[in-house]
Amino acid sequence: MRNRFFLWILFLSGAVLFVFTLIAAYREIAPEWKRYQAQYKEQIIKLAKDDATKKKAKELVPAVQQIYLGTLNRIDRCMSCHMGVENPMMANAKLPLKQHSGDYLKNHPPDKFGCTVCHYGQGRATNKKEAHAATRDTHWDFPTIPLKYIQSSCTQCHDYEMLSAKGYDNIAKGAKLFMEKGCRGCHKLNGIGGALGKKLDVVGSQPIAYFPMRFVEGDRNTYNWHKQHFTDPRALVPESEMKINVKPEETDLLATYVLSLRAGEMPKDYRRIKGTQTVEKPDEGEALYRMFCIACHTTGKDSYFDEIFNRTIPAIMKPAFLKTADEKYIKKVVEDGRAGTQMTSWKATAGGLTGVEINNLIAYITKDRPSAKPERFDFAGFKTDLKRGEELYNIRCALCHGKKGQGGEGFLGLNLRNPVVQGADPEFLAITVRDGRSETSMPPFGKKGVGFTDRDIADVVSYVKTMSKKK
Amino acid sequence: MSNETHEKTGMSRRDFLGLASLGAAVISSLTVLAGTFRMFKANVRYEESTKFKIGKAEEFPAGTVKKLDDKGVFILSKDDGIYAISAICTHLGCIVNQVDWGFQCPCHGSRYNEHGKVIGGPAPRSLEWLEISEAVDGSLEVDTAKSVPVGTKLKLYA
Amino acid sequence: MNELKQSGIDVFKHNIKSLLGSFAGSFLRSGKPTSDKSRAAAMFNNFFLHVQGVKTHINTLRPTYTLGLGLISFFLLIITVISGVLLMVYYSPSIEHGYTSVKDINYVVFAGKLIRNVHKWAGEGMIIFVLLHMARVFYTSSYKQGREFNWVVGIVLLILTFGINLSGYMLPWDQLSYWALVIVANIIQSPKEITDSLGITKFFDVGVFSKELFLGGLTAGKESLTRVYLLHIMLLPIFLFIFLGVHFWRIRKDGGLTKPDVFEPKPIDAGLAALPEKRGGIFPTNKTYGLMELAHGRTPVVDRDVENTVLSWPNLLIAEAALFVLCLAGVIAYSFFIDAPLKELANPMIPENPAKAPWYFLGLQELLSYSAFMGGVGLPGLALLGLALIPYLDKEPYHVGIWFSNKQGKRIALESLVVSTIVIIGLLAFVINFGWFRNWWPNVPQMLITLINPGNIWVGFMIVWSLYVIKRTGSTRMGAIALFTMFLISFLIYTYVGTELRGPNWDFFWSKSQWPIH
Repeated sequence: MRNRFFLWILFLSGAVLFVFTLIAAYREIAPEWKRYQAQYKEQIIKLAKDDATKKKAKELVPAVQQIYLGTLNRIDRCMSCHMGVENPMMANAKLPLKQHSGDYLKNHPPDKFGCTVCHYGQGRATNKKEAHAATRDTHWDFPTIPLKYIQSSCTQCHDYEMLSAKGYDNIAKGAKLFMEKGCRGCHKLNGIGGALGKKLDVVGSQPIAYFPMRFVEGDRNTYNWHKQHFTDPRALVPESEMKINVKPEETDLLATYVLSLRAGEMPKDYRRIKGTQTVEKPDEGEALYRMFCIACHTTGKDSYFDEIFNRTIPAIMKPAFLKTADEKYIKKVVEDGRAGTQMTSWKATAGGLTGVEINNLIAYITKDRPSAKPERFDFAGFKTDLKRGEELYNIRCALCHGKKGQGGEGFLGLNLRNPVVQGADPEFLAITVRDGRSETSMPPFGKKGVGFTDRDIADVVSYVKTMSKKK
Repeated sequence: MSNETHEKTGMSRRDFLGLASLGAAVISSLTVLAGTFRMFKANVRYEESTKFKIGKAEEFPAGTVKKLDDKGVFILSKDDGIYAISAICTHLGCIVNQVDWGFQCPCHGSRYNEHGKVIGGPAPRSLEWLEISEAVDGSLEVDTAKSVPVGTKLKLYA
Repeated sequence: MNELKQSGIDVFKHNIKSLLGSFAGSFLRSGKPTSDKSRAAAMFNNFFLHVQGVKTHINTLRPTYTLGLGLISFFLLIITVISGVLLMVYYSPSIEHGYTSVKDINYVVFAGKLIRNVHKWAGEGMIIFVLLHMARVFYTSSYKQGREFNWVVGIVLLILTFGINLSGYMLPWDQLSYWALVIVANIIQSPKEITDSLGITKFFDVGVFSKELFLGGLTAGKESLTRVYLLHIMLLPIFLFIFLGVHFWRIRKDGGLTKPDVFEPKPIDAGLAALPEKRGGIFPTNKTYGLMELAHGRTPVVDRDVENTVLSWPNLLIAEAALFVLCLAGVIAYSFFIDAPLKELANPMIPENPAKAPWYFLGLQELLSYSAFMGGVGLPGLALLGLALIPYLDKEPYHVGIWFSNKQGKRIALESLVVSTIVIIGLLAFVINFGWFRNWWPNVPQMLITLINPGNIWVGFMIVWSLYVIKRTGSTRMGAIALFTMFLISFLIYTYVGTELRGPNWDFFWSKSQWPIH
């Protein structure tokens, strides 16, 4: 019986093998795209007006259609299904056989540009699911881009002026919003901008895994992520500190803009750039304020307690503030930032602003400075007592600024050990202590407020100035 | 002798099953093998397409001779039409140069007349004439994989 | 004389006429196998078949004895070699084109996706069947009576199987490949944990040295892919085939497959072709051997049980052919339904979370999560050494060729299965709920964790329990059964936990559906 047993196994597995090989072979010789090519052939034959076209159509042999783009390092096989993109006869056909809309292909011949350079998607794939790559299980980082964002592809070769002149102004509008909403207050672009947020230089070509997709609604791709992130950053990234102040219709424009920030440049042969391609840095004070400051300081006229930053953001353009803060002090803060707060350093080596630009910016901020100067304190006229200063500090100041002046986390007051305070003119510090900081938690400590004498104030200030040396 | 008879009975008992299973195994293995060999033939080429556009007809007024270095093709335009001659020497595949009397191959000295007909040297055949046609968008297309009989010209201004 | 009358031209004509027949004759050497003699000749005159005996013991042909596991492993190897060569036609081993060439294999190469799946699943199937084959050999005591060394060769083949699979995993250069490569490189680097603890890293940094040797640099990059490719298609296969040759040769020299000392054919064996009558056939019972063989000492097959052997042609060959086609059909059917994974292009900036090694290493990765050195080098090294030493520590010459030796053996195996399952799950539950030293005392020295961690405790338990079994039963074979059973069970459970129950950040999840979505 033994041999019969083996023979049966041989027979049955041979049969199974045969069946599966045949099915596999069928799958190979009858792929999805062949169906579309057959439809295309049929429609061309039906629509053909002259015999030559008809004859040509009849000679069509189904084959993978591909565009080999050596210089772009791409192979696009999209036309295996989208057979009619270049054929005017297919103007009224249904997708995927329909002719490409508009006259884009006239200036962008597919044999030079391919498809995925503008549309994204997986050019090598030969089935719809993986070519369009809409779902995550296709493991392709750049699914076909929705048409509302397609202008982000144009900037690879064209400048904003040219695009706007032709009516494709989403990208320029997005760039303008980017300039005016203070995005660069936190995000660096071309090396210029704040340090709180992520750099945006190549954000448009980051892979999906770079973005937390957990809370994204709809398809989990970067396009939806950007739009929803501009709508409500904390809905996608709960720990985000990002400030956003845009209208719903503006989110698409901003998304288009950030998606245009891509890594890698097109070969020179393709580029047609004369004007601006990314957001430049203006040098005029108000524009600088909008680009770098407005996201946190808003109009600058009212201070407010920011729940995300968990601190009061001062009204830097309010006369009451400007009265006490002199130019030297503001310049110091802008250049070095405020350690322990969200205020970052803007000097050339950090935020990337030149001295001239900082001066322009300060001139704009201080344009409403009242002419009345605060009453002089005359710090130099006092002989100070450090020990007394320390005692006073511990009683009156430590509660908000911390025993070591560390401030920051868990304290109302700011860090007194930071270089801005430590390097400030003691005269200025004394005036601040005496008159307080209106609209912040810092009350006036002078006779009009808590009741310190000038001597008390001078002692405290002299103690504070020694704090950076304390352990 | 006793062995022989013993065997025959052994064979006959499993004759049919044996043949059937052997057949199933052989046929299915052959199918697998056929698929395997088919796999070696690439479905696509990993290189530039043999068919490429050379521009509009207006760019080739009668009398022009243009050599496309990267494609290895001469485009020639005469009064009676435009035609393309392959620049690939039929001897061993070098690129020929154009000279007064036609084309000359720098490698082994094959010589061709102005129509690409071989007139000297080791080349076995004349230079190939390539298909030139009008694409849907009105520009001219050359396909280096399709040769046409010598003298075939595309009439432009009929 | 006839020849004299023929002219040279006539002879030549005759030769031309009979060209086909004489070529076939020279090719096949012996004619159509119709008699015992010609069947024997068919076996030993054929280059590919002579590796096997002319006659095969009936026990060897019983599917319930061998389960065909060794042959299946070999056939899967043949399938991977063929499909692998096919893939090499289109694969390009570079980080620029490797990934896209695999994509093209999937999308435009005729049957490319199927062939890639076949290669992948046949390769991974080898791991399973090599392990099962090892278990079969162990439980039938087939590592005894002159077969000790072949068991060691088998262990080497097991290691090579793991190595080939792992190196192949790196080649598509997707996220899975890249991060598995990084993990493996760090396992190779893990002796640093020991040298650091001993404070001798600056004199003798064996960890970083071996890592650099493997990667061709300090980080995974294009050099690493070249090296891994070389390992996968050249170095490891060469060693695999050399050791496989030795393995097969030793099977013959050690007297074929094991069989019980007392063997009685059953009625079911009657279907075998040409079952010789007692003392019949062309071979007398007493086989003849060359002087070299007899002088060599142990010749396990001489004069023993010859009446229970049958001719290999056709009995053995039918069984082998059936098994081969079964393997091929099985692999192709499986590959038809399940695709080999291919993730996003490798991105050194963004790790997969969880960054998992291939499944067959996830048992180790679970141990690695306790201590990189012990999990990656120490314990697997110890396990392989222990496995290799089994035939030298258990030399009891009874029960060879019988599954689980005897009733006691079955009981011990069952008992070890239950005990090991309880202990491992207990250890895992403890670690998952309460953590380990570092969770309790953050400043605990690494050396202490390297020495005392759940992995080591488990291995220690295995050793102690086996010794206890030896003491209790007075039999080293019983101890070996306990040890081997526990080894298999722990491989199974740890692999399952690592594959299915560990999610992002190596946290515990009851099922993959509970993983936080990224």
